[in-house]
Amino acid sequence: MKLLEIEDLVTELSDGHDWMRAVDGVSLEVRRGETFCLVGESGSGKSVTALSVMGLLPEMRHRHPRGRIRLYGIADQGGDGLDLLGAGETVLSRVRGGRIGMIFQEPMTSLNPVLTIGEQMDEALQLHQPEMTEDGRAERIKAALEEVRMPDPASRVAEYPHRLSGGQRQRVMIAMALICEPALLIADEPTTALDVTVQAEILKLLRELQERRGMGVLFITHDFGVVAQIADTVAVMRRGRLVECGAAETVLRRPQHAYTQSLIAALPERLERPARPVSGHEQLVEIRDLKVHFPVRRGFLRRVVDHLRAVDGVSLEVRAGEVVALVGESGCGKTTLGRALLRLLEPTSGSILLEGRDITRLPRQAMRSLRRRMQVVFQDPGSSLNPRLPIATTLIEPMRVHGIGADDDERRARALALLERVEMPPDSLWRYPHEFSGGQRQRLAIARALVLEPRFILCDEITSALDVSVQAGILKLLRRLVDEEGLGMLFITHNMGVVEYLADRMAVMYAGRLVETGLTDAVLRAPQDEYTRSLLAAVPRLDGALLSA
Amino acid sequence: MTETKRLQPSRPWSRQVLAALVRRSGARIGLVWISLLVLVATFAPFIANTHPLYMVANGEGSSPALANLEPVDWIWLAGFFLALFLALVPGKTWVRVLAWLSGVAGATVLAYALVSPPILTVYEQYREMEAAGTIEQIVRAPIPYSAKDYLRDYGDTGIEAPLAVSERRHWLGTEENGADVAARMIHASRIALGIGFIATGIALVIGTLIGGMMGYFSGVVDIIGMRLVEIFEAIPTLFLLLTFVAFFGRSIYMMMIIIGITSWSGYARYVRAEFLKLREQDFVQAAVACGLPLPSILFRHMLPNGLAPLLVAASFGVASAILAEATLSFLGLGLVDDPSWGQMLNQAVQSSTFNWWLAVFPGGAIFFTVFAYNLVGEALRDAVDPHTQRTAQGAGR
Repeated sequence: MKLLEIEDLVTELSDGHDWMRAVDGVSLEVRRGETFCLVGESGSGKSVTALSVMGLLPEMRHRHPRGRIRLYGIADQGGDGLDLLGAGETVLSRVRGGRIGMIFQEPMTSLNPVLTIGEQMDEALQLHQPEMTEDGRAERIKAALEEVRMPDPASRVAEYPHRLSGGQRQRVMIAMALICEPALLIADEPTTALDVTVQAEILKLLRELQERRGMGVLFITHDFGVVAQIADTVAVMRRGRLVECGAAETVLRRPQHAYTQSLIAALPERLERPARPVSGHEQLVEIRDLKVHFPVRRGFLRRVVDHLRAVDGVSLEVRAGEVVALVGESGCGKTTLGRALLRLLEPTSGSILLEGRDITRLPRQAMRSLRRRMQVVFQDPGSSLNPRLPIATTLIEPMRVHGIGADDDERRARALALLERVEMPPDSLWRYPHEFSGGQRQRLAIARALVLEPRFILCDEITSALDVSVQAGILKLLRRLVDEEGLGMLFITHNMGVVEYLADRMAVMYAGRLVETGLTDAVLRAPQDEYTRSLLAAVPRLDGALLSA
Repeated sequence: MTETKRLQPSRPWSRQVLAALVRRSGARIGLVWISLLVLVATFAPFIANTHPLYMVANGEGSSPALANLEPVDWIWLAGFFLALFLALVPGKTWVRVLAWLSGVAGATVLAYALVSPPILTVYEQYREMEAAGTIEQIVRAPIPYSAKDYLRDYGDTGIEAPLAVSERRHWLGTEENGADVAARMIHASRIALGIGFIATGIALVIGTLIGGMMGYFSGVVDIIGMRLVEIFEAIPTLFLLLTFVAFFGRSIYMMMIIIGITSWSGYARYVRAEFLKLREQDFVQAAVACGLPLPSILFRHMLPNGLAPLLVAASFGVASAILAEATLSFLGLGLVDDPSWGQMLNQAVQSSTFNWWLAVFPGGAIFFTVFAYNLVGEALRDAVDPHTQRTAQGAGR
């Protein structure tokens, strides 16, 4: 029985002057008890489709030249369904929350920080079920929190959102979306911001809730691993159009459309791994028993009451010509380790050796000349380049400071050669960062790191904000750089597929410590540590899920 | 967004902001009024002057207006034309600003060393000469009165007017000492402009330095800096001005400095907040990791990115500095002899009758100037705000 029907939907968004077509003739149907996955890369229009259904697009900034969205199964509408596009604000506000629940991507910001979670859930109930008594509502809230398996729901009701972890907040969001028992749940990348182990739990929870209630779920994601875990039906979106739609198994195993095929082929675990030269044994970077503790200060005199042990006794080495992956969930201290390694943070104790030389306590001045030996590429493509400087300045200034190249002409020639190396057009030199896409910016950030001819590069989650096809390009580039130039690379990530493709060795980090280190294949095939095992089991994989199904 | 190639000419951020600013009609009105004010202030001695611009007397041609130019007039002219010249020459912005400042400083030294107008000016002489018929040819300024050419409207003083009534036209009336209101207003525009820019400039420099240090170094520097900010925020500007005026006499430069050193705290807060945010940004960390020297990190990578809120605050700061000076002058504690809009407002209520023209015209000038700066500030805030710049982008994830 169909629940939601979108027919030939066209949504156009305006930036004040021009209209841009974000959704272009999408038709789909979500049935009761079915999970419909909308997959696509960023900018493909999948979120806009969901927001069109909810009527949550910015007022005056959107229009629907064509299309119909009908919601079925509402008692007072009969068999014809309710036309959501033509519905007024009063009807829509009854539908939102009451008939359609929605979960957003960012659990950290989708709850109001000044209200307790009980108050926030109560509000939805008061609006949609005014006939309920206060006691009845309190009972219902407790039951809802219990249903999403919130630990100790009775006392959590009075808790403020900042006291909850990301996973718990997402559970509250789900409880809130489901409290009025909607027939349809729209989940917009609900697990993207979560760690894999938490993601696995939330996905399982969603699956269970759906089975119990027979809801229809419109699930939006970019992750094929998640799709394989949860979807009954899959639709692949590209530039506002549905390119392929069908049963999950068929689409994932035998994709018909070229775009779907290329997307699946770009998954890091599907990338072809080239033969690698035997990595050298020249040791580049070694850290011994490194500790980074942040003092926790309290009170008026800011006394140190405790230490936050972000990195707690880590030993690791990176050789020339190899990629070491540092894997761990958020908050495990992997980024802190990276920053301490580059001396962007002062380590508490332990030592860092760069090519055999201890740089742990080197003064700032002496460190500056060594900085060209070790470089870094950061995670966020939005802030990795100075937005006020053209690329030429960003690339040439470090060379000038370190005395590379005789004059600016020679440096410019070197910068051009590097741009070619990272597969960017030469005219990028005179452009500003905002003119580039995320993947291009990461390429430019890699070029900036390479400009100083470093021996060692730290990559801190540099592909996690990118689409799979873009990520595949960057990963190939990195592997080539390491193989051809004999660089050493420490690659911080949480994505197991990337580790599998890129890394020679991997280290698993948990709560500030390394729990397991070893060759990538060995660790992935036969993890020794308990935590590594649970981490690997939680990773949603395209192949694993299909095989077990 | 996928990796698509977009080919369009690259514009630096400053140009984009400027283009976005000029697109807004509020900013256009404000900028037109301010540039009009700048023109009037620069060419004040040629717009309102009792000294004829050119005259031929006793067969000899001369320009009394030029001969009577004061050092300040020369500095204004030098500053204006230097700015015009530098705006046309290509070069880095900070180099041009530095060149302008040093050029104006040089002009100041030169002007005070070389220019010595006659100490005693007898405004009456030209009219007397004209009445006597010794002048063969004369070109007057559009408003043929100087700001300090008093007793223009002989009124009931009993002195006989040297010229016929039709020759003594005062478009905006005269003030209590008999000087032409239009002429005084034109000359007063210099004080309004000067005090706004110099006081805000002083505040900006102090605020940026202290705020930048607080933001970048944080820790102890931040704690000390914040206490300093709090102390300076507790000082009432007007009260301090009154005290200084009482002790050290009236000087426009002292007013500029005092308004400047009491109003930097707001800018320091802005810069501190921006730097605290920027310090953690990846590109700043990357600059540190590249081993760039501290001045480059601070002034090339951090400051230009934190400039936006500062510019907005500064344009409002200019307006409030102008108001502070007007308030002081209105209270009768402004400059003694030099004209200022606030002082003229004061005269409107000094005598037994309410002199409406002394309230309306200078009051209107203050209103429009402050309004113009607020308009520009408002438009600048919109222009630098990324949320109003790109709206539809990022909606389709």
